Amino acid sequence: MNAVPTGVYQPGSSFLHRLCAFAKLLCLIVLLCAVVATGSLSGYALLLLFTAGLLLLSRVPLRSALGSAWRLRWFFLIILLMNTCFFNPEGAWFSLWIFTPSPAGLMQGLNVVLRVLFILVFSNLLTLTTAPMELTRAIELLLSPLGLLKIPVGQVAMILSVAIQFVPTLFEETDMIRKAQTARGAKFDSPRLLDKAGAAAPLVVPIFLAAFKRADELALAMEARGYRTDAPSRPGRRLSGTWRDAAALVCCCLLWAVQILYL
Amino acid sequence: MQKMSAVKKSIITAVCIALCVVLPQAFHAVPNAGAIYLPMHIPVLLCGLICGWSYGLLCGLAGPALSALLTGMPPAAVLPGMMVECGVYGLAAGLLMQLVRTKHLYADLYISLAAAMLLGRVVSGIAKALIFSAGSYSMASWVAGSFVTALPGIVIQLALLPSIVYALMRARLIPQRYPKDEE
Repeated sequence: MNAVPTGVYQPGSSFLHRLCAFAKLLCLIVLLCAVVATGSLSGYALLLLFTAGLLLLSRVPLRSALGSAWRLRWFFLIILLMNTCFFNPEGAWFSLWIFTPSPAGLMQGLNVVLRVLFILVFSNLLTLTTAPMELTRAIELLLSPLGLLKIPVGQVAMILSVAIQFVPTLFEETDMIRKAQTARGAKFDSPRLLDKAGAAAPLVVPIFLAAFKRADELALAMEARGYRTDAPSRPGRRLSGTWRDAAALVCCCLLWAVQILYL
Repeated sequence: MQKMSAVKKSIITAVCIALCVVLPQAFHAVPNAGAIYLPMHIPVLLCGLICGWSYGLLCGLAGPALSALLTGMPPAAVLPGMMVECGVYGLAAGLLMQLVRTKHLYADLYISLAAAMLLGRVVSGIAKALIFSAGSYSMASWVAGSFVTALPGIVIQLALLPSIVYALMRARLIPQRYPKDEE
Protein backbone atom coordinates (compact mmCIF):
# COMPACT_ATOMS: atom_id res chain seq x y z
CA MET A 1 0.00 0.00 0.00
CA ASN A 2 2.91 2.33 0.67
CA ALA A 3 3.81 2.24 -3.00
CA VAL A 4 0.40 3.50 -4.05
CA PRO A 5 0.67 7.14 -5.06
CA THR A 6 -2.06 9.09 -3.29
CA GLY A 7 -3.17 12.62 -4.01
CA VAL A 8 -1.52 12.73 -7.46
CA TYR A 9 -3.83 13.90 -10.26
CA GLN A 10 -5.25 11.07 -12.32
CA PRO A 11 -6.70 12.24 -15.64
CA GLY A 12 -10.22 11.07 -16.40
CA SER A 13 -13.65 12.09 -17.65
CA SER A 14 -15.83 11.24 -14.67
CA PHE A 15 -18.46 13.56 -13.20
CA LEU A 16 -15.98 14.83 -10.59
CA HIS A 17 -13.25 15.32 -13.20
CA ARG A 18 -15.59 17.49 -15.28
CA LEU A 19 -16.57 19.75 -12.36
CA CYS A 20 -15.03 23.21 -12.31
CA ALA A 21 -11.99 23.33 -9.96
CA PHE A 22 -13.35 26.37 -8.12
CA ALA A 23 -16.66 24.61 -7.46
CA LYS A 24 -14.76 21.55 -6.20
CA LEU A 25 -12.72 23.74 -3.85
CA LEU A 26 -15.91 25.37 -2.51
CA CYS A 27 -17.49 21.92 -2.14
CA LEU A 28 -14.46 20.74 -0.16
CA ILE A 29 -14.79 23.69 2.24
CA VAL A 30 -18.52 23.00 2.72
CA LEU A 31 -17.82 19.28 3.22
CA LEU A 32 -15.17 20.05 5.84
CA CYS A 33 -17.79 22.10 7.70
CA ALA A 34 -20.25 19.19 7.39
CA VAL A 35 -17.65 16.78 8.81
CA VAL A 36 -16.94 19.08 11.76
CA ALA A 37 -20.70 19.47 12.39
CA THR A 38 -21.19 15.68 12.54
CA GLY A 39 -21.36 14.16 16.01
CA SER A 40 -23.62 11.12 15.85
CA LEU A 41 -23.38 7.64 14.34
CA SER A 42 -26.29 8.35 11.99
CA GLY A 43 -24.45 11.48 10.83
CA TYR A 44 -21.35 9.44 10.08
CA ALA A 45 -23.46 6.83 8.28
CA LEU A 46 -24.83 9.60 6.04
CA LEU A 47 -21.29 10.89 5.40
CA LEU A 48 -20.21 7.36 4.54
CA LEU A 49 -23.00 7.03 1.97
CA PHE A 50 -22.09 10.42 0.52
CA THR A 51 -18.40 9.47 0.33
CA ALA A 52 -19.26 6.18 -1.38
CA GLY A 53 -21.30 8.15 -3.90
CA LEU A 54 -18.38 10.51 -4.52
CA LEU A 55 -15.98 7.59 -4.99
CA LEU A 56 -18.33 6.07 -7.56
CA LEU A 57 -18.72 9.40 -9.36
CA SER A 58 -14.95 10.03 -9.38
CA ARG A 59 -14.11 6.61 -10.87
CA VAL A 60 -10.62 6.77 -9.32
CA PRO A 61 -9.07 3.54 -7.98
CA LEU A 62 -10.11 2.90 -4.38
CA ARG A 63 -6.48 2.33 -3.39
CA SER A 64 -5.50 5.82 -4.55
CA ALA A 65 -8.41 7.50 -2.79
CA LEU A 66 -7.92 5.65 0.49
CA GLY A 67 -4.13 5.17 0.38
CA SER A 68 -3.20 7.97 2.80
CA ALA A 69 -5.90 6.86 5.25
CA TRP A 70 -4.57 3.28 5.06
CA ARG A 71 -1.06 4.50 5.86
CA LEU A 72 -2.39 6.01 9.11
CA ARG A 73 -4.28 2.87 10.18
CA TRP A 74 -2.11 2.17 13.24
CA PHE A 75 -2.31 5.80 14.30
CA PHE A 76 -6.11 5.67 14.01
CA LEU A 77 -6.21 2.46 16.03
CA ILE A 78 -4.03 3.91 18.80
CA ILE A 79 -6.13 7.10 18.98
CA LEU A 80 -9.31 5.03 19.15
CA LEU A 81 -7.95 2.74 21.89
CA MET A 82 -6.50 5.61 23.93
CA ASN A 83 -9.75 7.56 23.83
CA THR A 84 -11.78 4.44 24.67
CA CYS A 85 -9.56 3.48 27.61
CA PHE A 86 -8.76 6.87 29.14
CA PHE A 87 -11.24 9.53 27.98
CA ASN A 88 -14.03 9.15 30.56
CA PRO A 89 -13.94 6.68 33.50
CA GLU A 90 -17.61 7.30 34.30
CA GLY A 91 -19.90 4.52 33.11
CA ALA A 92 -16.92 2.33 32.21
CA TRP A 93 -17.64 -1.22 31.05
CA PHE A 94 -14.93 -2.46 33.45
CA SER A 95 -11.81 -1.19 35.20
CA LEU A 96 -8.44 -2.89 34.87
CA TRP A 97 -5.37 -1.12 36.41
CA ILE A 98 -5.36 2.32 34.69
CA PHE A 99 -7.67 1.27 31.84
CA THR A 100 -11.32 2.27 32.04
CA PRO A 101 -12.91 1.65 28.63
CA SER A 102 -16.23 3.45 28.39
CA PRO A 103 -18.91 4.09 25.74
CA ALA A 104 -18.25 7.86 25.96
CA GLY A 105 -14.55 7.25 25.31
CA LEU A 106 -15.34 4.99 22.36
CA MET A 107 -17.63 7.67 20.88
CA GLN A 108 -14.96 10.35 21.38
CA GLY A 109 -12.37 8.12 19.69
CA LEU A 110 -14.71 7.42 16.78
CA ASN A 111 -15.39 11.16 16.46
CA VAL A 112 -11.69 11.98 16.15
CA VAL A 113 -10.79 9.08 13.84
CA LEU A 114 -13.80 9.38 11.53
CA ARG A 115 -13.45 13.15 11.14
CA VAL A 116 -9.78 12.87 10.18
CA LEU A 117 -10.63 9.95 7.87
CA PHE A 118 -13.39 11.79 6.00
CA ILE A 119 -11.32 14.98 5.68
CA LEU A 120 -8.45 12.92 4.25
CA VAL A 121 -10.64 11.17 1.69
CA PHE A 122 -12.33 14.40 0.56
CA SER A 123 -8.99 16.23 0.16
CA ASN A 124 -7.61 13.23 -1.73
CA LEU A 125 -10.57 13.21 -4.10
CA LEU A 126 -9.98 16.89 -4.86
CA THR A 127 -6.31 16.44 -5.76
CA LEU A 128 -6.97 13.15 -7.62
CA THR A 129 -9.60 14.66 -9.90
CA THR A 130 -8.23 18.20 -10.41
CA ALA A 131 -5.29 19.11 -12.62
CA PRO A 132 -2.62 21.13 -10.78
CA MET A 133 -3.01 24.17 -13.03
CA GLU A 134 -6.78 24.22 -12.54
CA LEU A 135 -6.30 23.89 -8.79
CA THR A 136 -3.87 26.81 -8.87
CA ARG A 137 -6.36 28.98 -10.72
CA ALA A 138 -9.14 27.96 -8.34
CA ILE A 139 -7.02 28.84 -5.29
CA GLU A 140 -6.10 32.11 -7.00
CA LEU A 141 -9.78 32.89 -7.53
CA LEU A 142 -10.64 31.97 -3.95
CA LEU A 143 -7.85 34.20 -2.61
CA SER A 144 -8.53 37.04 -5.06
CA PRO A 145 -10.15 39.34 -2.42
CA LEU A 146 -6.72 39.44 -0.73
CA GLY A 147 -5.46 41.23 -3.86
CA LEU A 148 -7.11 44.38 -2.48
CA LEU A 149 -4.48 44.29 0.29
CA LYS A 150 -1.72 44.18 -2.37
CA ILE A 151 -1.01 40.52 -1.61
CA PRO A 152 0.36 38.75 -4.75
CA VAL A 153 -2.48 36.25 -4.96
CA GLY A 154 -1.25 34.55 -8.14
CA GLN A 155 2.15 33.84 -6.62
CA VAL A 156 0.58 32.54 -3.37
CA ALA A 157 -1.71 30.25 -5.37
CA MET A 158 1.25 28.94 -7.40
CA ILE A 159 3.22 28.25 -4.20
CA LEU A 160 0.29 26.35 -2.62
CA SER A 161 -0.31 24.37 -5.78
CA VAL A 162 3.37 23.37 -6.09
CA ALA A 163 3.38 22.46 -2.38
CA ILE A 164 0.39 20.14 -2.85
CA GLN A 165 2.10 18.50 -5.82
CA PHE A 166 5.33 18.04 -3.85
CA VAL A 167 3.70 16.22 -0.91
CA PRO A 168 3.43 12.70 -2.43
CA THR A 169 6.93 12.95 -3.94
CA LEU A 170 8.48 13.99 -0.64
CA PHE A 171 6.51 11.30 1.22
CA GLU A 172 8.14 8.64 -0.96
CA GLU A 173 11.57 10.23 -0.57
CA THR A 174 11.20 10.48 3.21
CA ASP A 175 10.00 6.91 3.52
CA MET A 176 13.04 5.72 1.60
CA ILE A 177 15.46 7.80 3.71
CA ARG A 178 13.82 6.66 6.95
CA LYS A 179 14.12 2.99 5.98
CA ALA A 180 17.73 3.48 4.92
CA GLN A 181 18.66 5.20 8.21
CA THR A 182 16.84 2.56 10.28
CA ALA A 183 18.78 -0.12 8.41
CA ARG A 184 21.97 1.76 9.31
CA GLY A 185 21.03 1.56 13.01
CA ALA A 186 19.36 4.94 13.71
CA LYS A 187 17.22 4.67 16.86
CA PHE A 188 14.24 6.99 17.03
CA ASP A 189 12.78 5.58 20.26
CA SER A 190 15.60 6.02 22.78
CA PRO A 191 14.33 7.12 26.22
CA ARG A 192 17.10 9.77 26.58
CA LEU A 193 16.18 13.25 25.37
CA LEU A 194 19.55 14.05 23.80
CA ASP A 195 19.62 10.66 22.06
CA LYS A 196 16.19 11.45 20.67
CA ALA A 197 17.45 14.77 19.36
CA GLY A 198 20.58 13.16 17.92
CA ALA A 199 18.57 10.48 16.14
CA ALA A 200 16.64 13.11 14.17
CA ALA A 201 19.72 14.46 12.38
CA PRO A 202 20.30 11.47 10.06
CA LEU A 203 16.66 11.73 9.03
CA VAL A 204 16.17 15.48 8.70
CA VAL A 205 19.35 16.57 6.90
CA PRO A 206 19.09 14.17 3.90
CA ILE A 207 15.38 14.97 3.56
CA PHE A 208 16.12 18.69 3.32
CA LEU A 209 19.00 18.28 0.90
CA ALA A 210 16.92 16.03 -1.37
CA ALA A 211 13.94 18.40 -1.21
CA PHE A 212 16.03 21.49 -1.98
CA LYS A 213 17.70 19.73 -4.87
CA ARG A 214 14.26 19.08 -6.36
CA ALA A 215 13.28 22.71 -5.70
CA ASP A 216 16.43 23.95 -7.42
CA GLU A 217 15.75 21.79 -10.50
CA LEU A 218 12.13 22.90 -10.72
CA ALA A 219 12.97 26.60 -10.27
CA LEU A 220 15.66 26.32 -12.95
CA ALA A 221 13.23 24.64 -15.36
CA MET A 222 10.55 27.29 -14.71
CA GLU A 223 13.00 30.17 -15.19
CA ALA A 224 14.34 28.57 -18.37
CA ARG A 225 10.80 28.54 -19.74
CA GLY A 226 10.43 32.23 -18.93
CA TYR A 227 8.11 31.89 -15.94
CA ARG A 228 7.70 35.12 -13.96
CA THR A 229 5.93 35.43 -10.63
CA ASP A 230 4.58 38.89 -11.49
CA ALA A 231 3.17 37.86 -14.87
CA PRO A 232 -0.63 37.62 -15.18
CA SER A 233 -1.90 34.03 -15.08
CA ARG A 234 -2.68 32.42 -18.40
CA PRO A 235 -6.24 31.56 -19.21
CA GLY A 236 -6.67 27.81 -18.92
CA ARG A 237 -9.69 25.58 -18.99
CA ARG A 238 -12.97 27.17 -17.94
CA LEU A 239 -13.55 28.17 -14.35
CA SER A 240 -17.09 29.29 -15.07
CA GLY A 241 -19.89 27.30 -13.43
CA THR A 242 -22.29 24.91 -15.14
CA TRP A 243 -25.39 23.10 -13.86
CA ARG A 244 -23.10 20.30 -12.66
CA ASP A 245 -21.12 22.67 -10.46
CA ALA A 246 -24.26 24.23 -9.03
CA ALA A 247 -25.79 20.80 -8.36
CA ALA A 248 -22.63 19.59 -6.61
CA LEU A 249 -22.49 22.69 -4.42
CA VAL A 250 -26.19 22.41 -3.54
CA CYS A 251 -25.74 18.73 -2.59
CA CYS A 252 -22.82 19.58 -0.29
CA CYS A 253 -24.74 22.46 1.31
CA LEU A 254 -27.74 20.17 1.83
CA LEU A 255 -25.53 17.59 3.52
CA TRP A 256 -24.12 20.26 5.82
CA ALA A 257 -27.62 21.57 6.64
CA VAL A 258 -28.88 18.05 7.42
CA GLN A 259 -25.90 17.44 9.70
CA ILE A 260 -26.56 20.67 11.60
CA LEU A 261 -30.35 20.45 11.79
CA TYR A 262 -31.17 16.76 12.12
CA LEU A 263 -28.14 14.62 13.08
CA MET B 1 22.87 37.44 0.93
CA GLN B 2 23.16 37.49 -2.84
CA LYS B 3 19.99 37.86 -4.88
CA MET B 4 17.76 34.84 -5.25
CA SER B 5 15.03 35.02 -7.89
CA ALA B 6 11.40 35.28 -6.83
CA VAL B 7 10.67 32.05 -8.70
CA LYS B 8 13.29 30.15 -6.71
CA LYS B 9 12.09 31.67 -3.44
CA SER B 10 8.54 30.64 -4.32
CA ILE B 11 9.53 27.06 -5.11
CA ILE B 12 11.65 26.77 -1.95
CA THR B 13 8.66 28.06 0.03
CA ALA B 14 6.44 25.47 -1.66
CA VAL B 15 8.90 22.72 -0.76
CA CYS B 16 9.05 23.94 2.85
CA ILE B 17 5.23 23.95 3.03
CA ALA B 18 5.23 20.39 1.67
CA LEU B 19 7.85 19.44 4.28
CA CYS B 20 5.51 20.79 6.98
CA VAL B 21 3.17 17.98 5.91
CA VAL B 22 5.80 15.29 5.35
CA LEU B 23 8.25 15.72 8.26
CA PRO B 24 5.71 15.20 11.09
CA GLN B 25 4.66 11.97 9.39
CA ALA B 26 8.28 10.81 9.34
CA PHE B 27 8.35 10.99 13.15
CA HIS B 28 5.04 9.19 13.60
CA ALA B 29 6.61 6.04 15.08
CA VAL B 30 7.61 8.08 18.16
CA PRO B 31 4.77 8.72 20.62
CA ASN B 32 3.99 12.45 21.09
CA ALA B 33 6.62 13.24 18.44
CA GLY B 34 4.99 16.51 17.40
CA ALA B 35 5.43 18.12 20.83
CA ILE B 36 8.92 16.65 21.39
CA TYR B 37 10.67 17.00 18.01
CA LEU B 38 8.66 20.00 16.69
CA PRO B 39 9.14 18.76 13.12
CA MET B 40 6.83 21.36 11.61
CA HIS B 41 8.90 24.27 12.97
CA ILE B 42 12.06 23.23 11.09
CA PRO B 43 10.90 23.97 7.50
CA VAL B 44 9.16 27.18 8.60
CA LEU B 45 12.27 28.57 10.30
CA LEU B 46 14.41 27.45 7.39
CA CYS B 47 12.10 29.14 4.90
CA GLY B 48 12.23 32.40 6.86
CA LEU B 49 16.03 32.26 7.14
CA ILE B 50 16.57 31.54 3.44
CA CYS B 51 13.73 33.29 1.60
CA GLY B 52 12.82 36.25 3.81
CA TRP B 53 9.98 37.32 6.08
CA SER B 54 7.09 37.33 3.61
CA TYR B 55 7.82 33.80 2.38
CA GLY B 56 8.48 32.63 5.95
CA LEU B 57 5.14 34.04 7.06
CA LEU B 58 3.31 32.32 4.21
CA CYS B 59 5.06 29.03 5.01
CA GLY B 60 4.17 29.37 8.70
CA LEU B 61 0.51 30.00 7.95
CA ALA B 62 0.03 27.59 5.05
CA GLY B 63 2.18 24.68 6.36
CA PRO B 64 0.04 23.75 9.38
CA ALA B 65 -3.18 24.46 7.45
CA LEU B 66 -2.20 22.19 4.56
CA SER B 67 -1.02 19.50 6.97
CA ALA B 68 -4.36 19.63 8.82
CA LEU B 69 -6.17 19.38 5.50
CA LEU B 70 -4.16 16.48 4.08
CA THR B 71 -3.29 14.45 7.19
CA GLY B 72 -5.67 15.71 9.88
CA MET B 73 -2.69 16.85 12.00
CA PRO B 74 -2.58 19.21 13.85
CA PRO B 75 -6.23 18.79 14.94
CA ALA B 76 -8.64 21.67 14.29
CA ALA B 77 -8.55 22.78 17.95
CA VAL B 78 -4.77 23.26 17.92
CA LEU B 79 -4.51 24.59 14.35
CA PRO B 80 -5.08 28.35 14.93
CA GLY B 81 -2.50 28.50 17.74
CA MET B 82 -0.05 26.53 15.65
CA MET B 83 -0.56 28.83 12.66
CA VAL B 84 0.13 31.89 14.81
CA GLU B 85 3.24 30.31 16.33
CA CYS B 86 4.66 29.10 13.01
CA GLY B 87 3.73 32.36 11.28
CA VAL B 88 5.72 34.34 13.83
CA TYR B 89 8.67 31.93 13.49
CA GLY B 90 8.83 32.45 9.73
CA LEU B 91 8.23 36.19 9.94
CA ALA B 92 10.75 36.82 12.73
CA ALA B 93 13.42 34.54 11.28
CA GLY B 94 13.21 36.34 7.93
CA LEU B 95 13.16 39.84 9.41
CA LEU B 96 16.05 39.17 11.78
CA MET B 97 18.13 37.52 9.08
CA GLN B 98 17.61 40.69 7.04
CA LEU B 99 18.55 42.99 9.93
CA VAL B 100 21.38 41.08 11.64
CA ARG B 101 24.67 41.31 9.76
CA THR B 102 27.72 40.43 11.84
CA LYS B 103 29.85 39.34 8.85
CA HIS B 104 29.82 35.81 10.25
CA LEU B 105 27.26 33.42 8.81
CA TYR B 106 26.86 31.24 11.90
CA ALA B 107 26.53 34.27 14.21
CA ASP B 108 23.78 35.72 11.98
CA LEU B 109 22.01 32.38 11.85
CA TYR B 110 22.17 31.68 15.58
CA ILE B 111 21.09 35.20 16.61
CA SER B 112 18.16 35.18 14.15
CA LEU B 113 17.18 31.62 14.98
CA ALA B 114 17.28 31.96 18.77
CA ALA B 115 15.41 35.28 18.74
CA ALA B 116 12.78 33.93 16.32
CA MET B 117 12.29 30.79 18.42
CA LEU B 118 11.84 32.85 21.57
CA LEU B 119 9.57 35.40 19.91
CA GLY B 120 7.37 32.68 18.39
CA ARG B 121 6.92 31.03 21.77
CA VAL B 122 6.14 34.30 23.51
CA VAL B 123 3.56 35.38 20.91
CA SER B 124 2.05 31.88 20.83
CA GLY B 125 1.81 31.89 24.65
CA ILE B 126 0.12 35.29 24.65
CA ALA B 127 -2.29 34.23 21.87
CA LYS B 128 -3.19 31.02 23.72
CA ALA B 129 -3.63 32.82 27.04
CA LEU B 130 -5.78 35.59 25.59
CA ILE B 131 -7.61 33.99 22.66
CA PHE B 132 -7.33 30.26 21.95
CA SER B 133 -7.30 28.83 25.51
CA ALA B 134 -8.40 31.88 27.47
CA GLY B 135 -8.79 31.11 31.16
CA SER B 136 -7.29 27.63 31.03
CA TYR B 137 -3.70 28.44 30.10
CA SER B 138 -1.09 29.09 32.77
CA MET B 139 2.55 30.19 32.88
CA ALA B 140 3.48 26.67 34.05
CA SER B 141 1.81 25.01 31.06
CA TRP B 142 3.50 27.52 28.72
CA VAL B 143 6.95 26.75 30.16
CA ALA B 144 6.27 23.00 30.18
CA GLY B 145 4.88 22.91 26.64
CA SER B 146 7.25 25.40 25.03
CA PHE B 147 10.56 24.60 26.71
CA VAL B 148 10.54 21.36 28.79
CA THR B 149 8.67 18.89 26.56
CA ALA B 150 10.08 20.55 23.46
CA LEU B 151 13.72 20.43 24.63
CA PRO B 152 14.80 17.79 22.07
CA GLY B 153 13.11 19.83 19.35
CA ILE B 154 14.90 23.00 20.47
CA VAL B 155 18.23 21.15 20.49
CA ILE B 156 17.49 19.77 17.01
CA GLN B 157 16.61 23.20 15.64
CA LEU B 158 19.66 24.92 17.12
CA ALA B 159 22.00 22.13 16.06
CA LEU B 160 20.59 21.36 12.63
CA LEU B 161 19.21 24.52 11.08
CA PRO B 162 22.48 26.51 10.79
CA SER B 163 24.18 23.37 9.50
CA ILE B 164 21.45 22.79 6.92
CA VAL B 165 21.71 26.40 5.70
CA TYR B 166 25.50 26.06 5.50
CA ALA B 167 25.22 22.71 3.68
CA LEU B 168 22.75 24.21 1.18
CA MET B 169 25.11 27.11 0.52
CA ARG B 170 28.05 24.76 0.07
CA ALA B 171 25.99 22.64 -2.31
CA ARG B 172 25.20 25.89 -4.22
CA LEU B 173 21.47 25.22 -3.85
CA ILE B 174 21.07 28.71 -2.31
CA PRO B 175 23.35 31.78 -2.75
CA GLN B 176 26.22 32.49 -0.33
CA ARG B 177 25.49 35.16 2.28
CA TYR B 178 29.11 36.35 2.50
CA PRO B 179 30.73 35.01 -0.68
CA LYS B 180 34.32 36.06 0.15
CA ASP B 181 34.27 34.55 3.66
CA GLU B 182 32.94 31.23 2.46
CA GLU B 183 35.29 30.65 -0.45
